Amino acid sequence: MYRRLLININQVRNRLIHTHNTRLTLPSTKCKERESFAPVTWAPCTARPLGTSSISFSENKESSTSLSEDKGKTPEETELETEPVVKPEDRKQVETTKSGKESLLELLGAMKVEVTTVRKIRPSKTPRMSERPDQEPMESTHSMFQRAAAEGSQQHGTLNPALVAAVSAAASTLPNRHQAESELLKQLRKHEAIPDTQRRADIGHIISDMKVGKRPNGRSNVRPTSQIRFDDDGKGYTQDRGITSELDGVRRRKSPFTSKRLNLFAAAAEQDALSDLGPTLWDIDLVNQIVQATNQMPRNGFEEMIQWTKEGRLWQYPINNEAGLEEEASVPFHEHVFLEKHLDESFPQQGPVRHFMELVITGLAKNHHLTVQQKKEHIDWFRDYFRQKEDVLKEAEAYLN
Amino acid sequence: MASSCSQALRHHVCKSSRILQEIVIPKKKTWSKEAVLQALASTVNRDPTASDYRFQDDPYLTPKTSSEFKLFSLSQESGRNAAKYFISTYPKYFQKDYAQPHIPCLMPETLEAQIEEVSEAALIERIQMRKVKAAVDLYDQLQQAGTPVSLDVTNQLLDLICFYGDCDPAQENVPEQRNEETEDVQDEPQTKKGRASKASDKLKAAWKENNNAERIFALLSEPNTHSYSALIRGMVKYGAYSKAFSTYTDLLNNQLKADVSTFNALITAAPEVKEKYNEKWELIVDLLKQMAEQKVKPNLLTLNAVLKALRRCGTVGKSQAFPVISEMRALSIDPSLASYNHLLSIFYKPGAPFQGQTDILQEVMNEVSGKSFTPQDPDDAQFFITAVRICLDTKDIEQAYRVHELLGVGENWRLLGNDFQQNIYHARFFSLLCMMENIDVVLKWYRDLVPSVYYPSSNVMRDLLQVLDTDNRLDLIPQIWKDLKQLGHGNRQTLVEELLTLMAREKQNQEVQETFAECALDIKKMYDTGDRGKVMMSWTAGSLSDLVSVLLAAQRRQDAWEILKLFKTHNRVPSEELLDKFLTCIKESGDVNQALELVQISAGFCLPGTPKLIQRVQQEFLLSEQQKSMLSDLEIQTFNSD
Repeated sequence: MYRRLLININQVRNRLIHTHNTRLTLPSTKCKERESFAPVTWAPCTARPLGTSSISFSENKESSTSLSEDKGKTPEETELETEPVVKPEDRKQVETTKSGKESLLELLGAMKVEVTTVRKIRPSKTPRMSERPDQEPMESTHSMFQRAAAEGSQQHGTLNPALVAAVSAAASTLPNRHQAESELLKQLRKHEAIPDTQRRADIGHIISDMKVGKRPNGRSNVRPTSQIRFDDDGKGYTQDRGITSELDGVRRRKSPFTSKRLNLFAAAAEQDALSDLGPTLWDIDLVNQIVQATNQMPRNGFEEMIQWTKEGRLWQYPINNEAGLEEEASVPFHEHVFLEKHLDESFPQQGPVRHFMELVITGLAKNHHLTVQQKKEHIDWFRDYFRQKEDVLKEAEAYLN
Repeated sequence: MASSCSQALRHHVCKSSRILQEIVIPKKKTWSKEAVLQALASTVNRDPTASDYRFQDDPYLTPKTSSEFKLFSLSQESGRNAAKYFISTYPKYFQKDYAQPHIPCLMPETLEAQIEEVSEAALIERIQMRKVKAAVDLYDQLQQAGTPVSLDVTNQLLDLICFYGDCDPAQENVPEQRNEETEDVQDEPQTKKGRASKASDKLKAAWKENNNAERIFALLSEPNTHSYSALIRGMVKYGAYSKAFSTYTDLLNNQLKADVSTFNALITAAPEVKEKYNEKWELIVDLLKQMAEQKVKPNLLTLNAVLKALRRCGTVGKSQAFPVISEMRALSIDPSLASYNHLLSIFYKPGAPFQGQTDILQEVMNEVSGKSFTPQDPDDAQFFITAVRICLDTKDIEQAYRVHELLGVGENWRLLGNDFQQNIYHARFFSLLCMMENIDVVLKWYRDLVPSVYYPSSNVMRDLLQVLDTDNRLDLIPQIWKDLKQLGHGNRQTLVEELLTLMAREKQNQEVQETFAECALDIKKMYDTGDRGKVMMSWTAGSLSDLVSVLLAAQRRQDAWEILKLFKTHNRVPSEELLDKFLTCIKESGDVNQALELVQISAGFCLPGTPKLIQRVQQEFLLSEQQKSMLSDLEIQTFNSD
């Protein structure tokens, strides 16, 4: 693929060298190189900056896959993508033209044709591809870029008016004419401004950054995860520059779940006051289905005991010191502790009986084995007892009232 | 001392109270009655050497193969069901209540209606006992007698009829149906289950025109939302989808609002009534809009119903799935595992190429990992097998580990589903490991999973053998053979033959050869006895010669000689190389008689290599006259036969 690309570049270059007007053609060559190598510069107007090159690259090799890719895209994207696509076939067509100016115009004009060919004629091109490699002798990459840099160094200054005309002609093929034109021009001016050394470095940089975009061809399952990541999500290649790629990954990662909502419901729509009388048959069935679907088997003895506790088969394991307090649960503690109120006027207010009873309630207050009811009964028993023995007690002057 | 201490304390308290201003009394914490048991249970880890807890009562019944596992767990279950059946069928014999305090779940349930007279109370009782026919009959009698039945009770009756599709429910406690499925775990569970459930749906009565539900519904003077809801849900459940929608229009015409379950049912039915993907989705959006208009708050089941419907909307599903989830998030409905399962199924169709969607699984895993899920939807239990299927399809071991990790969080293991699903999950996970990991890692997992939670099928074991082969750890074969035998795969001919080939292929060091020879003899026993006296496998020439070469490599000439005789008894023909190898081995010991016998055997099979063997024997062995003449006789014989 990479070799194929170089060949293409060579074709363009050689042809343009044949035409004499270097001053004019070079910026455009440059521009094209940049277009095809680093479409990032097109970013301002494209939604998917990397999509363009994937098409032009992969097309050379596997036009069938890229075609399907193309068709899946929205019209907007296709238009943006076809813009920088300069196809070798089209270049061949214009090879006969003499002046570089005309060639450029035609080149740019041919892009309009491209918009249609991308969709319609693409399949027919596949057989032609076999002829291409033997057309031009291959130059070494290095020498080529040296030359490119050398050529580039020759030109400076403002844009040629013919070039501007070419740009506007190209822009007229696009839907958003004025914007496209201004952007194309801006792009060209940027080129003029860039110093040669930087440009040379630029190209080297771009080339070194280039990754081979590869279609998985439906066999991507062969791909081991640890290998170099070929980009197979339709973007051609990622601009993989260390941390940027990771940032890119982060950006992509959070995308789907934070996507925009449908906006059908008002968020505050809190109605939902179910006027239901308990669970319906359907609710019971839902619970039953969930239970059936999930694994309810205990994994150890404790889990089995949990299950039994839930079923009510097992006495529940104490979880605090009030376990088994069912009947006393609602009785507050002071009922247990402050029992003086039960020593009402049925007992003497003073004397040995009173003293005895105070000892009794002290003992009862500390007894945690008896319920309040049993404590009351205990006191009542003494009340009856002393009432029965009232005569004896009075005789002994122990019952003072 | 004490006073200074308390002074200091007071000082400190004053200072701190000035800072704190107010004291916050913590709220009383209420513990559930299982809290202590749950804490205790969380201290118990899984023991990879022990079998499942339910088999631990009786060591004799510890399952060793997947079929035993199935058999034992099913018999345990069916034993319980049988006991329950008897208690419920003959309650009069089980009236003695030993438990103190009374334990209701140990007592027989009353299955016979207690109230005989024709009244609303009797109707309620029959509804609670889920006796559809009896309840309908009673309702008719009440109508004929002119007794009014309240709307609530009628709605309950409608619920009952619609739920069971106007048929009496089948006997409960039926043993699990799913377990008839073969151990072929590589199959797609979804499609399989889908087919199975569809078949059972067909068996179930479809919604009949003018059945009792519709009849009783028509009798209602003022049906309310509940009545409509029951009817629509019944229609959807029993496949009368378009009818459900017309009933819904009826509801709207009566100026009523639908409830959320009605909408959920309608959303489920939406893909059934429309043909095109777009139309399906538009219908769903329309229903959602109407929900918003009627101020009905969607719930998790709505989300899952929409996502499930989107599974059948092709590309529309892919574009709309995430907006739907965001919408529900905005309504503070968090997706459950079922939602994620539907999401994954939308993006990864089984069998379809999965380009560029590798990261959807990653996104989902980013969302779910580390969370503990509670079962909220019956489809929750599908998530893990779907996720691991995708991992297997995309060969993404990293995500598979994350899925497996998620399984260990909290109570998530419950969501792995029943035994069958667990088996599928582990089979996929393990085959992925075999594919992607080196032998050490694979063996680590193997020891962890097999046989405590997973009984690998013969296919998976073959994968394991391949891993052994690729990582050149063939010395582990005897161990694996032991496991194979225990797992009940000792009689799988292809597997055993592969094992023999692997052992025979290369020459290992002496110790390993020795264990190989033991293993090979063990395998031979397997051929001889077979399973339960039945011979399952038959010798092939390949397996016999592999066996012989393994034994020869271990210098067990006598055993190998025995095997060589088996060629004749089983009508197999040994290869020339094998006999050549054998002769080399005999030469080392210098046993002339055996060499001659070997030549005779070769001649008996009329092998074309016999003259060469004869030549070798003549050259390499010291022969007596008699032996020489015998050899030359043989030579003439073979020459003549050619």
